Amino acid sequence: MPEPLSLVVNGEPRRLEVEGRTLLVHALRDGLGLTGTHVGCDTSQCGACTVLVDGRAVKSCTLLALQAEGTEVTTIESLAADGELHAIQRAFVEHHGLQCGYCTPGMILTVHDLLEHDHDPDEETIRRALRGNYCRCTGYQPVVESVRAAARALAT
Amino acid sequence: MSESLIGVARPRIDAPDKVTGATRYAADGYVHGLLHARLVLSTEAHARIRGVEKDAALQLDGVVAVLTAADLPVVKSGTDRAAEPLARDEVVFAGQPVALVVAESEAAAEDGVEAVVVDYEPLPAVVDLEAAMTPGAPPARLSAEEAGGDLESIHAGVDKGEDDAEEEQLSANVLDSVTRGSGDVAAALEASDAVVSGTFRTPWTYQAYIEPQVSTAWLEPNGTLVVSTSTQGSFVTQNELFRAFGLDFDKIRVIAEPLGGAFGGKFALVEPLAAGAALALRRPVRVALTRTEDFQATNPASAQITELRIGGRKDGTLTGIEARMLVDRGSNAGWGVEGITSLLVAGPYRWEAFDLRGYGIQTNRFTFGAYRAPGAPTAAFALESLVDELAEELGVDPLELRLKNALVEGDTAVSGNPVPTFGAVEVLERIREHPLWARRDSLPEGEGLGLAAGYWPGGNEPAAAVCRVDSDGILTVITSAADMSGVNSGFQVIAAEAFGMPPDRVRVVTTDTASGPYAGASGGSKVTYTVGAAVLKAAEAAREKLLAAASQELEIAPDDLEVVEGVVRAKGAPDRSITVAELSRKALRFGGRYEPIEGHGGSAQTRGAPSVAAHLSHVRVDRETGEVELLRHVIAQDVGRALNPALVEGQMRGGATQGIGWALFEELAHDEDGRLLTGSFLDYAIPVAERVPPIDTLIVEVPAPDGPFGAKGIGEAPVVAAPAAVVNAVAAATGVRMRRLPMTPPRVWAALTGTEEPS
Amino acid sequence: MIPAAVGYHRATSLEDALEALAEPDAKALAGGQSLIPVLKLRIARPSLLVDLGGLELRSIERDGDELRIGALATWKDLTSSLELDSSGLAGLADCASSIGDLQVRNRGTIGGSLAHADPASDMPAMLLALGARVETRSPDGERSLSVSELLVGPFTTALGERELITAVVLPVPPPGSGSGYASVEHPASGFPLAGAGALGRPDGTKAVAITGVGARPQLVPESGSLDDVEVYGDRFAPESYRRHLAGVVAARALEIAQVRSEGRR
Ligand SMILES: Cc1cc2nc3c(=O)[nH]c(=O)nc-3n(C[C@H](O)[C@H](O)[C@H](O)COP(=O)(O)OP(=O)(O)OC[C@H]3O[C@@H](n4cnc5c(N)ncnc54)[C@H](O)[C@@H]3O)c2cc1C
Ligand code: FES
Ligand code: FES
Repeated sequence: MPEPLSLVVNGEPRRLEVEGRTLLVHALRDGLGLTGTHVGCDTSQCGACTVLVDGRAVKSCTLLALQAEGTEVTTIESLAADGELHAIQRAFVEHHGLQCGYCTPGMILTVHDLLEHDHDPDEETIRRALRGNYCRCTGYQPVVESVRAAARALAT
Repeated sequence: MSESLIGVARPRIDAPDKVTGATRYAADGYVHGLLHARLVLSTEAHARIRGVEKDAALQLDGVVAVLTAADLPVVKSGTDRAAEPLARDEVVFAGQPVALVVAESEAAAEDGVEAVVVDYEPLPAVVDLEAAMTPGAPPARLSAEEAGGDLESIHAGVDKGEDDAEEEQLSANVLDSVTRGSGDVAAALEASDAVVSGTFRTPWTYQAYIEPQVSTAWLEPNGTLVVSTSTQGSFVTQNELFRAFGLDFDKIRVIAEPLGGAFGGKFALVEPLAAGAALALRRPVRVALTRTEDFQATNPASAQITELRIGGRKDGTLTGIEARMLVDRGSNAGWGVEGITSLLVAGPYRWEAFDLRGYGIQTNRFTFGAYRAPGAPTAAFALESLVDELAEELGVDPLELRLKNALVEGDTAVSGNPVPTFGAVEVLERIREHPLWARRDSLPEGEGLGLAAGYWPGGNEPAAAVCRVDSDGILTVITSAADMSGVNSGFQVIAAEAFGMPPDRVRVVTTDTASGPYAGASGGSKVTYTVGAAVLKAAEAAREKLLAAASQELEIAPDDLEVVEGVVRAKGAPDRSITVAELSRKALRFGGRYEPIEGHGGSAQTRGAPSVAAHLSHVRVDRETGEVELLRHVIAQDVGRALNPALVEGQMRGGATQGIGWALFEELAHDEDGRLLTGSFLDYAIPVAERVPPIDTLIVEVPAPDGPFGAKGIGEAPVVAAPAAVVNAVAAATGVRMRRLPMTPPRVWAALTGTEEPS
Repeated sequence: MIPAAVGYHRATSLEDALEALAEPDAKALAGGQSLIPVLKLRIARPSLLVDLGGLELRSIERDGDELRIGALATWKDLTSSLELDSSGLAGLADCASSIGDLQVRNRGTIGGSLAHADPASDMPAMLLALGARVETRSPDGERSLSVSELLVGPFTTALGERELITAVVLPVPPPGSGSGYASVEHPASGFPLAGAGALGRPDGTKAVAITGVGARPQLVPESGSLDDVEVYGDRFAPESYRRHLAGVVAARALEIAQVRSEGRR
């Protein structure tokens, strides 16, 4: 039974019809065409689907779309403002924090949450914060370096 | 001249799209009227299919069709995955696709899968590798046997050279055996000052790319089958589909979309399913595997058992090596890694005598496939463990022992071929200089350092490329090589350097099989070495066209011109110049006078360009819990020439991290009936950020004579000896030698306490 | 993977939630970090999900010598709560921060964790050691259960079909107490192979509870011996290993607690 859902996605009020069982990730990808949010697992572990809901990083595969009613959802597509990369995005580009890039949108949004609450995380804090974001390509170190660079850039 | 572009670290060219979510992966494209498929997977490891009950599923809302093997228009015979995308009569592993439910939505397809009932007649499942090869073992596949295989056993003639052709009694599950021998190993070991041996086990291991396999197929109105897919090889896939479905070759177009990781696993597994369904239903169909399907139904790396014995003399000379390597091929009758693994088990060393045997054995587990440096991590795990033990027995330094016996150019490898340019000595020397190595005897209690070396021979395949200046003045590099590891960014630098263009005025396009120049599949560490060489020639050819046009335009002989930063100018008179953009505009227009500035290049490399890497791993072992913590890892690798050091380091770290996965975490385990026990990330661990240490990368450059600017393939070498280094570090920390990977906490604890190791 | 078809109702009040739960096979939904994975695997197929997300049950408050944690308080709420900023309650924050990952901690709730009764979940051991009680509401009224009364077996609680956890209440340990949590995690799932929560009081009394090893969390007997404690083994971690590990984490948790109780925090 399709049900109405209204929420704010990337700053714009959106209305769509979803089923009770529809996961937020599918509403974003299939309903709104926001394919920058990826799916990498069935067990809520890989973090490829991470988005911000009211500013907090959540796994959009582990949230019903209807649970997001009335919230503000931010996906990777809206992080760059007016064609300018966000400091975190820029850091990932410059510090080689990605290879295949499949994990990258989720990583960046988790880091967004982290840096919102911790302006100068140390290496251990960063690695712990990334526990729920799997990357098979980079070995994580360049990601860690990207996060540090982003923290520095945001501090200035 | 301006500074060389080679060797400068710069961001990947695809990075901006990837950080903004703009990259469309194979699951992301919008297709009008798209149907979605989910797989019905076999719950039995070995069984006959008596029937598939579809009706209940077909009643469900949104379900369009339930397809079984008979419904797919496959014309190819045989048992490979393209010939048999859905099991015909016999299932040979749990997780094998039996039926495809196609529906209007993914959710409906999943509802349908639940409603399909398959009736199986169970057959004995062949799960134990050693039991599988002994005469009298039940066959892992009946259909092959009916097709003419010997019922009882085959005699695998094991050629030992001139003396005796020894014959071993083996079951029909042994699909292949390979032997390499030279000299008298028994005598060489007999005459050694020390001989060490062991049996080493590695499990089935999953590529675990974060993007599950996905493929979308549709028919154009003229009947062309278009497949947009996550693949390492567009032409390979086109070929497979051509043979599977018997369409006209030009009626198959394969588009390799940006890959969300592959590591050897993405080769024509899901494409035949999507294409078969699209052909059967004449509607667009997407097969996007769920992670659960991907775990069960794809093609992970073989489990192996290696019995190894090596000897050496007190002066630090390695003498003889004897290996017997059992390779689990699962249901893959086509190929296996027994050949390469039994070659690589000799390592980057000289031996006076060797006897190396590999056996490819079929069982009822998975279809075996390639995973980064297939067969190599297992071989290095066995050999490098024993080399360390031998060094201890002989009382020589383990690094010096390796150095003394390291292959150098001109030596004869166990393959019988001369060793080409080879950086084994250089990488070992770099490790010796690392400050961590000096600390090996002064580490705190519970910590240890482990050293290991290993190589990957590299691959060759002819390839072609095109370079063209477009009317916007940008040099466009066109290839059909799927960008698995950042090769496009390498092409960018090669073309920019060869043509005389700033890199930001070079774009790289990956085209599809309908229009692209030929390239083999990305894998085997060959893309930069082969396609890169073609790009170099194409850029040079385009440059000639450029100079010819500029020569006319400026009325200066081509030899007196140079191209700097996208400007053609007279040598010595830089103000007499014209930009590449201007020239291209003059060429690409109605009535233009110059040939398009476009060059074609090809390569057919014949010499190998092996890449070798040495690792140093620093661990701390918690004796109470058996947990192994990695404190630091160092990798020194001969990369030929680092075109873009940032990408090279990325491959080194990524490879080493996957090696850490082999060492500590990863195992696809089955129960005794052949059902997968670790089929999700809840049970199958891959390295996560907090378990991976900082990894120091030491780039060593021993240029490959035939490689573009000396570059060679580097993607596989970094994984090879990483697990062995961790194993040796654990041994150094605890005195305990682990013979089975992964070294999970319960296994390490059992080894430390002398209790029985969990299976 | 996608759940089987299911209805959805967003509860506007506790009463409304209890009302909605009257539907056969209805199930409460809090953070969804346990329930949604289960729905996706189609292990559970409720008819209706009653989303508690909008209810005001999230506060963490000191009430005299009691700490009240609303059932909908997330792990993140616990790790950032100032109320837990004392050595006696520090183990709660330790424990919450060792659960799952950043994203899971942003959504997973203490009430959901208890109601899910996963024998491998972390928090029950810590709560057991701290002597916490669980307050519930059902159409029959309110009641209060101890953690061991609530958790009767793997994925099984003493809750009625229409009974919701509203809060977790625990006695604030006397000044000078210390608490701590220690675990060894499964490398894949991150759930504990064995976990232990401990409380040490200034008078030298202590309480230690373990989780992850048996059907439910268990208090370690006064003697400290784990010989009689129920321990399960599996392919990955056999019983002998888990039993040993339970002892290791129990000792480590107690060590943390005692160091804290001596004020060397
Ligand atoms: C990737 C991942 C890793 C995790 N790792 C860990 C870990 O290391 N350790 C650990 O302990 N946990 C772990 N968890 C589980 C996590 O802690 C969950 O958040 C928690 O177990 C359930 O809380 P929830 O709010 O999400 O509950 P939900 O998933 O919403 O509900 C769980 C169950 O509780 C019921 N329920 C919910 N709230 C109430 C209530 N107030 N009254 C009555 N019934 C209720 C629901 O009906 C359902 O049956 C992990 C989860 C994920 C996805
Ligand atoms: S897809 Fe959401 S966590 Fe993997
Ligand atoms: S960059 Fe490929 S998974 Fe992270």
